[in-house]
Amino acid sequence: MGKISNIITSGLLAVACTALPAFAAEKVYVYNWTEYLPESVLQQFTKETGIEVVYSTYDSNETMYAKLKLIQKDGYDVVFPSTYFVSRMGKEGMLQPLDRAQLPNMKDLDPNLLDKNYDKGNVYSIPYMWGSTGIGVNSEMIPVASITGWQDLWKPEYKGKLLLQDDVREVFHMALKIKGYSSNSTDPKEIEDAYLLLKELMPNVLLFNSDSPRLPYLAGEVSLGMIWNGEAYMAEQENPAIRYVYPKEGANLWVDSYVIPKSARNIKNAHAFINFMMKADVAKTCVEENGYATPVLTALPLLDEAVRTNKTVFPDKEQIAAGEFQTDVGEALAIYQQYWEKLRAGN
Amino acid sequence: MKIMRTKTAVISLVSGWLLLFGVVPILMLLAASFLTQDATGFFRLPFALTSYRQLFLDPGYLEVLLRSVKLAAITTICCLAVGYPFAWFTVRRARKQRLVILILLMIPFWTNSLVRTYAIRMVLGTNGLLNKMLLAAGVIEAPLKLLYTDTAVILGLFYLMLPFMILPLYANLEKLDYRLVEAARDLGAGLMAIFRKVIVPLSIPGIFAGCIMVFVPTMGLFYVAALLGGARQLLIGNLIQQQFLNARNWPLGSATSVILILLMTVMLAGYALVMRRLASRGQRS
Amino acid sequence: MRTLRFFFFTGIFLYLYVPIGILIVNAFNLNRYGLKWDGFTLKWFSGMLANPGLMEATRHSLVIAVCAATIATAIGCFAAIGFSRYRFAGRRILQGTLMTLMMAPDIILAISLLVLFVAIGVSLGFWSLLLAHITFCLPFTMMTVSARLQGFDPFLLDAARDLGASEGQLLGRVVLPLLQPALLSSWLLSFTLSLDDVIVSSFVTGPAYDVLPLKIFSMVKVGVKPEVNALATLMVVLSLVLVIISQLFLKEREKNGKNQ
Repeated sequence: MGKISNIITSGLLAVACTALPAFAAEKVYVYNWTEYLPESVLQQFTKETGIEVVYSTYDSNETMYAKLKLIQKDGYDVVFPSTYFVSRMGKEGMLQPLDRAQLPNMKDLDPNLLDKNYDKGNVYSIPYMWGSTGIGVNSEMIPVASITGWQDLWKPEYKGKLLLQDDVREVFHMALKIKGYSSNSTDPKEIEDAYLLLKELMPNVLLFNSDSPRLPYLAGEVSLGMIWNGEAYMAEQENPAIRYVYPKEGANLWVDSYVIPKSARNIKNAHAFINFMMKADVAKTCVEENGYATPVLTALPLLDEAVRTNKTVFPDKEQIAAGEFQTDVGEALAIYQQYWEKLRAGN
Repeated sequence: MKIMRTKTAVISLVSGWLLLFGVVPILMLLAASFLTQDATGFFRLPFALTSYRQLFLDPGYLEVLLRSVKLAAITTICCLAVGYPFAWFTVRRARKQRLVILILLMIPFWTNSLVRTYAIRMVLGTNGLLNKMLLAAGVIEAPLKLLYTDTAVILGLFYLMLPFMILPLYANLEKLDYRLVEAARDLGAGLMAIFRKVIVPLSIPGIFAGCIMVFVPTMGLFYVAALLGGARQLLIGNLIQQQFLNARNWPLGSATSVILILLMTVMLAGYALVMRRLASRGQRS
Repeated sequence: MRTLRFFFFTGIFLYLYVPIGILIVNAFNLNRYGLKWDGFTLKWFSGMLANPGLMEATRHSLVIAVCAATIATAIGCFAAIGFSRYRFAGRRILQGTLMTLMMAPDIILAISLLVLFVAIGVSLGFWSLLLAHITFCLPFTMMTVSARLQGFDPFLLDAARDLGASEGQLLGRVVLPLLQPALLSSWLLSFTLSLDDVIVSSFVTGPAYDVLPLKIFSMVKVGVKPEVNALATLMVVLSLVLVIISQLFLKEREKNGKNQ
């Protein structure tokens, strides 16, 4: 019997030893969208500042919001909500005002992306990246030319084949645009119309994925559906057959921002992290690895010509004009949510 | 005196723990299911039947409940169909072999279930091992679309839950008095008759225990459906998880779990009833 | 019949082991997507070790598993002894509650505890997680110890008492040593249950105390990642070691049993 007890005791000791160094290092808790920040950047941050990054991910604004609501203290230090969640969380007192003095690199940001309605004067938020949601096509399976708009996803031949983002606003964007409404509609009638249209789409949907939509495309599980431009860009690097299409009804354009929640505990490190992320070379790496556009102007000249002119990463003027930027829909979000629940449950 | 003190301490520790972390939370859950959703907090007054009305009258949710029951039932039947012969064959082996078989069964069972679900996913993918083998063998011409279907979820649940069926069955069959089987054979009963009239009736407690052990937890395994299933919400567990950690409708999530608790209670009561019947019949004969 | 049985067992074990086998092979596969064998590598293991978040979560998981297993085994042991030695009002109700707790799907325990923690203002982190893990391990430890107690020779206790042992000595010198194998196996069972738990943890912990299964879940949700294969391989090895330990001690117990 004694032998076993010895094994257990030494096991306990080993565990106790590994547990000890946990208290030593400076840390910053980052909660971000999946596949949205290159690991090399995190390592570089730790090397430069000595602050360890504890990194967790979420797959939708709602999940992030629900998680933050549960946390009273010792929470995440930096989070990346989309515009409409920035205003909502700001209004509900879930965010801390940013300290500009600790964010000198802010001077390099594109003024066109600052001081927007969702956060006047950038009290709580600073834009991280912006991008679009369009259509992903595997050209080996489906001719790219045959897909021009959101409407094409409704074709009966794609029964049980599509991938959609697991995100209420993005999915409703398609239907609202097809109907010719604004994708920021707050009119219950218009939202209901969109819901009815989406209900017809459900038989075509194979899965919802907004963790990393490119992987089902790369694995050959799907060859058509929604995708973020950055994910499409990353997919294209590995399999050139996967293409990104800006739908003619208009792509969904969005901005994600850094915020510091009220429940954060390493506020100084959070500022250091955000400031680091706005450095030109760091922003450049983010663009090249993740394929989304950056508001850091000084990063643009550093970019490889091929990336800078890549339409998937940086849409041209017409593509932006055709699309629509996501804004806060206020109370109407609850209506969207209700229909969304029905779609997810009942299809 | 000393005995009394130890006794009180032990009993109050255990019952206090169960009360605080077992009974009280369930009662709070029950209460929460009758409250109203709160957009910024978690739930608020007034008490209302909104959540239950939603569950039963909105077609979507009821569909999820029924689908979940169906999926769990299919999984249970598959586990029973495979687990029963497995347990029977194992019991009939020599002692040494029995031990080896059981250990082989237990090793995956001790391995992280998430990791195993993930492993199943790698097998079932369009470019996974199964499709590759079938293609190479010429059984199929185009890869099967297995991943993100209900079949994949059932295969995954079966994979995780099989030991929970086999172990109670094994424990039961091990105690079975084999002389009864021999007696039946001596009396000229055929194999099927022995199985139907002797073995199955004697192993009913094991069958019931195994079915409950598989059926009830299956409906809560949201991560299996999340990793293997497609766009449709499949299990009650997914609905609950969605309501608590995404949609933030706590009353609806609570009501859904109350339904699950009721289902479990009915099954446990049924089990108790069957056991009592069996016991009283045993006494009479 | 014989061959049929052979194929049956082979089929089941193939089904149980092939997925795990693929996982392990791919942990050493140079090919990122594991679609074909590109050569042997250990880089996924080093990649995993270089991930501070993953390492922190591993540490947290081990601490929680050790604490939960130890406390649950202690409480479960006392409870089992209490149930077998004392008669008291409400004993059957208590046992019924324990059984129901064991049968209840994890998700019920998870959200009911979440509602409790939110209502009384416990912040989600180490303590909420530990309390939850002890709670779901408790019925298992108690059952294991109870089963062992039932196999006891009651005369042993009477003999000890006749020789003048106090209640405390009785527990410390006679009952606990006899229970050692049961305590060990219930400790190991709780340890694995805690380390394996996704459902309860995903509801009752916060960012300050992220645990391994949650990290794995968010990684595998994304897709095939070789670092996950490496991690999974390590976990399979860990569980193998645990099974071997528990088997070793079973053997030892048998030997002891024969000697007695």
